[in-house]
Amino acid sequence: MDIIIKIVAIGLITCLATLFVKPVRSDFAIFIAIAGGLVILFLILGYVSEIFDVFKNIIAATGVSSQLYKILIKIIGIGYLVEFAIGICNDTGNSSLGDKILLGGKIVVMVMALPIVTNILQIIIGLLPS
Amino acid sequence: MGVEVIIKIAAIGLLTAIIGQILKQTGREEISTIASLAGLILVIIMVLNLIGELFATFNNLFKF
Repeated sequence: MDIIIKIVAIGLITCLATLFVKPVRSDFAIFIAIAGGLVILFLILGYVSEIFDVFKNIIAATGVSSQLYKILIKIIGIGYLVEFAIGICNDTGNSSLGDKILLGGKIVVMVMALPIVTNILQIIIGLLPS
Repeated sequence: MGVEVIIKIAAIGLLTAIIGQILKQTGREEISTIASLAGLILVIIMVLNLIGELFATFNNLFKF
């Protein structure tokens, strides 16, 4: 509960700071927005690692290969990072650049997910009666 | 690490704007340009440091 108050406060302070600075120097407003987003992200990341620890324990209990779990975690990380970068691009008015980052993220996720797909295919082939 | 970064950037922005205005009033255009440029570079360095820290944290978090 403590953390959400912090996040909301930092978001509002960032909003007000950009509001004050924008009429004087519009180029600084973007930097303030980026810094505010980064600070909020830093606050959250500790909790994300906690969630991953719990996931790790669950995966270890089920006996699924940890290789697949690692790929999944990496894909989640790529998703968060790409979303953050796209937000910055949209804020600065380069929405087409954001789309390209999105495309890059999609392609990278697809490439990383290929081992899982081949794994599933192998399992299905193994199940089929020869 | 926290609100102080945001406040710092806002303060630098306002300060460079004021300094630029004063220098412009006294007729030193080129020094005012340099002052505003210095503020901008300072802020860019701060934001880049933050982004670098973010990438380092991401690498630690999602590496395993």
